[in-house]
Amino acid sequence: MKCEKIQELLSPYLEGELNPEEKRLIQEHLEACKECLILFSSLSEAQRSLSDFPQLEVSESLLNRLYSIPAKKKRFRLSFDFLLRPSLQPVLAAATIFLTLISFYAFNPNRKAIDKSIDRQLHLGLNKVEKLYAKAETFTSSLGEYKDNILVSLKNMKIFGGTKE
Amino acid sequence: MQINNIVKKCLDGSEGAWRMLVNAYSKRIFNMAYQFAGSFEEAEDLTQDIFLKLYNSLSKYDFKKDFSAWFFTLSKNHLIDHYRRTKWEKKTRDEFDEHFLASETDDGPEIGLVKEESKRTIWSALNSLPSEIRMTVILRDVQGKSYEEVAEIMSLPLGTVKSRINRGRLQLAKILKEKKEIENEV
Repeated sequence: MKCEKIQELLSPYLEGELNPEEKRLIQEHLEACKECLILFSSLSEAQRSLSDFPQLEVSESLLNRLYSIPAKKKRFRLSFDFLLRPSLQPVLAAATIFLTLISFYAFNPNRKAIDKSIDRQLHLGLNKVEKLYAKAETFTSSLGEYKDNILVSLKNMKIFGGTKE
Repeated sequence: MQINNIVKKCLDGSEGAWRMLVNAYSKRIFNMAYQFAGSFEEAEDLTQDIFLKLYNSLSKYDFKKDFSAWFFTLSKNHLIDHYRRTKWEKKTRDEFDEHFLASETDDGPEIGLVKEESKRTIWSALNSLPSEIRMTVILRDVQGKSYEEVAEIMSLPLGTVKSRINRGRLQLAKILKEKKEIENEV
């Protein structure tokens, strides 16, 4: 058997997991091959050293930190519980949309262009309102001239008790 | 008290039950973190993170399963994730910190020195193993768990666990062998 194949079987050999035939093959190879014998001795030394690792004690400060986890979580939960109320959800949603829009405006590289377009839209709106107001004024003044005639016509209508003529 | 009862009481908000859980597992988890990370302070922080994760995940625990295996799997996942996140920030550790050396045995000075040297070599060699292989070797050879327990904690088939442990041990043995050969030449 080649050294590579033997080396793969060294760990199971150390654990006593091989069948008698495989065991015999390994023993024979180790007697004949110095390289594999040194590797086997290093393997058992490494395993011994690993199992010899000392167990460290947990420090008092760490224990106290671990004990206090539920209390800390409870405090955190109490202080932020009100944010989870269902009645606050529409307010939080509106605040999120508002903040998103504000951040979109604040961090936009074309902020000046946005300012300009808002300014233009505001002026256009203002102009429209002024025009409408002017139209409304001319309409009321023209109505004033015919006010008396309209009243008489209304009074003479049949439904208000007048004659058709 | 049985572990499942302790967990139920923890879920009901009992701080006494939580203390019992901490007392039962803190040493094992802390040592596992220390063996994996190699630094005392880092192991303390990792243990705290793991217990915080445990507290948040207790409600997801399936009472039909073995609690220890479930908790060790959670710890293993956290340790490997943390290692993956931070491996580029760290330099390779090649020496054990003072906490390990302070806990050396009372062997004679020469034997103690040889043992210390050998353990240092093993530790640095252990750190050179890939994280998944390192964890399987720690669970099996340092913590002395059975192959079946390791397979459950690692969530891997038994055959894969055995081959990983085999590969890890061989790698460690080759590093030791090379070191011995260099020392002999000197």
